Amino acid sequence: MTAATDTAPIAATMSPRQYRTIKALDIGGLIATIVTVLGGICWAFPLYWGVITTLKPEEDVVKPGFQPWPEHFTLDAYTHVIFGTRIGQWYVNSLVTAISVTIIVVIISALAGYSISQLKFPGRRLLWWMILASFMIPVPALIVNHFVLMSQFHLINTWLGVILPQLVYGPVTVIIYKQFFDSVPKEFREAAKIDGANEFQLFFRLYLPMNWGITTALAIITFIGAWNQFLWPFLVATEEPMFNVTVGITQVTDAFGVKYARDLGSAMLAGLPVAIVYLIFQRRVTQAIMLTAGIKG
Amino acid sequence: MFNNGRIAVIRNIVRAALLSSALLTVGVGGALAEDTIVWWDFLGGGDGVRMKALIDQFNTEHKGQVQIQATTLDWGTPFYTKVQTSTAVGQGPDVMTYHESRIPLGITTGALSVITPEEQAASGIKSSDFEPANWKQAQGPDGKQYAIPLDIHSIILYYNKDELKKAGLLGDDGKPKGLDGAANFDAALAALAKTGVTPLSIPTADGATMWRIFYTLFNQQNGAQFLSADNKFLDGDANIADATKALTEMNSWVKNGYTPAKTEYPASIALFTSGKAAMHINGVWEVPTMVDLQKKGQLFDWGAIQIPVFYDHAATWADSHSFAIPDRKGNEVPAAKRKEVLDMIHWFNEHSLSWAGGGHLPAFAPVRSSDDFKNLKPNSDYSSLAATAVFDPVSTLAGVASPVYDAAGNYLMPGMNGEMDPADAISQMQSDLQGQVQ
Amino acid sequence: MTTITETTSQQPLVERRPRREDRSEWWAALVFTLPFVIIYAVLFIYPTLQMIWLSLQNAPLIGPGTFNGISNYVRLFHDRLFSVAFWNTAYFVLLSVIPSTLLGLFIALGVNRLKGFTQSIVLACFFLPYILPVSVVYRIWLFMLDQQFGVLQPIIAIFAGTHMNVFRTLSLFMPAVAFVTVWWLTGFNVLLFIAGLRNISPDIYESAALDGASRWQQFTRITWPLIWPVTVLVLTIQLILQFKIFDQVYLFGDGGRSDATMGMVQLIYRNAFQKNMGGYAASAAVVLFAIIVVFSVLQYQLLKVRGEK
Repeated sequence: MTAATDTAPIAATMSPRQYRTIKALDIGGLIATIVTVLGGICWAFPLYWGVITTLKPEEDVVKPGFQPWPEHFTLDAYTHVIFGTRIGQWYVNSLVTAISVTIIVVIISALAGYSISQLKFPGRRLLWWMILASFMIPVPALIVNHFVLMSQFHLINTWLGVILPQLVYGPVTVIIYKQFFDSVPKEFREAAKIDGANEFQLFFRLYLPMNWGITTALAIITFIGAWNQFLWPFLVATEEPMFNVTVGITQVTDAFGVKYARDLGSAMLAGLPVAIVYLIFQRRVTQAIMLTAGIKG
Repeated sequence: MFNNGRIAVIRNIVRAALLSSALLTVGVGGALAEDTIVWWDFLGGGDGVRMKALIDQFNTEHKGQVQIQATTLDWGTPFYTKVQTSTAVGQGPDVMTYHESRIPLGITTGALSVITPEEQAASGIKSSDFEPANWKQAQGPDGKQYAIPLDIHSIILYYNKDELKKAGLLGDDGKPKGLDGAANFDAALAALAKTGVTPLSIPTADGATMWRIFYTLFNQQNGAQFLSADNKFLDGDANIADATKALTEMNSWVKNGYTPAKTEYPASIALFTSGKAAMHINGVWEVPTMVDLQKKGQLFDWGAIQIPVFYDHAATWADSHSFAIPDRKGNEVPAAKRKEVLDMIHWFNEHSLSWAGGGHLPAFAPVRSSDDFKNLKPNSDYSSLAATAVFDPVSTLAGVASPVYDAAGNYLMPGMNGEMDPADAISQMQSDLQGQVQ
Repeated sequence: MTTITETTSQQPLVERRPRREDRSEWWAALVFTLPFVIIYAVLFIYPTLQMIWLSLQNAPLIGPGTFNGISNYVRLFHDRLFSVAFWNTAYFVLLSVIPSTLLGLFIALGVNRLKGFTQSIVLACFFLPYILPVSVVYRIWLFMLDQQFGVLQPIIAIFAGTHMNVFRTLSLFMPAVAFVTVWWLTGFNVLLFIAGLRNISPDIYESAALDGASRWQQFTRITWPLIWPVTVLVLTIQLILQFKIFDQVYLFGDGGRSDATMGMVQLIYRNAFQKNMGGYAASAAVVLFAIIVVFSVLQYQLLKVRGEK
């Protein structure tokens, strides 16, 4: 097995058969690329179709035939939701609660994941198994207990009441952090310890910085999950100003009847902000994730 | 240190949250002489718009005395769950809308409080102002009153005047003729089919609609009783036969191609409003849809009547939006507030004409017999159904989003669409519901 | 997740750790895990214990009840709906976990080959659905597959001869819901697989190509084995997640033959919130939890054994 280390053309160092194989691979590669790009387009089609439908008037939506581009553009599907409801306040609530959940979960999960991964202490095994177990419990099972608990703390219809139970919705964060901290080479730790670093410095100066990529990814995943919550925020909010967006849009329809576009429109408004944030930051995110993997290599 | 700082922040947050929730429970209007009624409803869509207008009117008229602070929540199981969990811990509103069909379950879960005859009299609420069946539906097994009705809402037959005329089914008064009697109705459908139009569009993929139509046809037969006094569903061969007859009739519409199978709710409406279907059976709440479309010039000449009499006597399924006062454990609604709430309910009843604009029939007889209402079209065309309305069976298994509605989706829907033999469907439904009785 | 290049632990420079270091680790561990443990204990352990206690009672959703031992569990095993829900859930898991994992891998392979702007766009195409809340996914697909007005109906008509209400046709319900779920959630797997693929050094591929290895051989001999740990992780996470399926099955089945299409979490939801049988619902939750534990452990062991071969 020889690796070509010089800059001479590869073709010069291999047999005709090998060269033909490589050329054939390129065609195969081309096909792979085309298939992937086409696949992406097909995959994104439903999103496109959803957005386009919200820009058509309701009569056009139920007209026979395939209209890939609206004949008449209209924002009717959105106007009532935007101007006739408190959606601004709901966005604020969603933002506050989702960001709070994200920050708190990421911090305590990183700390816990680090401890389970790197530190030895009594009860470590037990804690790990309990976290794994909690991942397997369905959320609706605990909702009523959470409600009673929050009412005992007088936190019904408050931001804190919305935030607190959601902190245990995502034990997967701890699990992933533990795996990633596990794979940081031990030499770094030993070396730092020789230099006299204590655990706090190890965590903040070494392990966490080496894992910004997965932190970013986990933050995004947690944020998306918290933003899209419905059942718990619905139960705990008793007044409209405390709704978050997913709860608020369920009672936004300005009429019954045929309302495909308006239903989709209000649903889009609930999901769009996160999509926009993702699109803005996505190169950062994907690079960060892939970069992290690279560091390990 | 990092951790201490965070603890302090958390302490502040908790303090702020406690303070804000305390403020919320006290009510912002504490300093003024004005009282607040906390109100929960599940009315979205066109109903929501109309109710908001009524609430605004109330608030304007009662400025300085009492104001309604309303919150709209998700219709169906989430609403009722929220009411139940909130009242159990002493939270919840001062008044809420409630489907009469859900009252039995509401009583069992302890969510509703009794409205005594004295309280009713003090606010001018009289049982004689309501249809007897409507009034009784809001009572518990102990005969006590747990809610006050606001409206009666039902299903009606929407029709396209032009199409019916083409098939010779339109009378001189602009109303359909020759639809009474199952055989006549089927013949009418055949005549419509001959003119090339889809005779009848129904939300055949929606279990709730299946229930409403089935219950209507079932109760039009003499002696039919869905739930017996000793809690037996479809007790006896006669009832089973009546039920099978009703479902077979519904299935025949699909089998003969008069009604498209498995049509989703919005699609069935679109079929009618686009002129493809000559008739449409749906709830009264779609009346504003038709009215609005016609105002925009996008709808043909249309009308609506009570569901025709297929069998022995007139009957139509109906449910009723009512007002109830929750039974908040440990934090009951105080007597003075209750009086304000009941006064408010009476006010809404007196002003329920605008609520009727949503297609509903006001439960309050004085409004229904008023000239203003008699001139309200198309409501006055079908208001006759109030006298023969049949409400959901009185059972904790019945009502909106209940096991009975689920059973409709599981048995009546496949039965109508030809996936199940009607007789099989009925017998399975009967054993399923009976098996769930505790 | 083990990285492709294994980490090596070097010889510790001191033979035996002094006691003081152990203590300092305990102390650090305490401080680090305390916030998590407190929140966890109050908001998870305590409610779960309550739930288990509730499952032994005949109690409503909220409020006191009477103790009745394991009769809830006995009743559960005789409940026709329980076995329906279980098999529906298992069927759904089968239809969604394996396809979304494999698809994730192949999409990742494809996307990995692209560069720059194209790669970002194509990756966004696959990942954006994951961001959407279930209500958007539900409404988009319900509309696209609407029997009367759905844009996909002409394609369905080619195969089935006529327009079909997919979600009201029993045999198509689960496959359709699984299809929508795969569309929705595969993006997450793609991301994980890309990270894993990046760990495989391109030198290995180059050498193999020079040795005359075909594309297929490169995949089966290099990619597949080296990506195996990621595959296991993805499969395990997806298995656990999809066993807890609720939203899509509930939404798409609402108003239809819900008895035939319900999943296990829906059984819990219905008994708890619709029929006000809190104790019975709690017992279903405990049983579901046990099932998930069994299946995920089984799968993990199976895959580990396969991987070690």
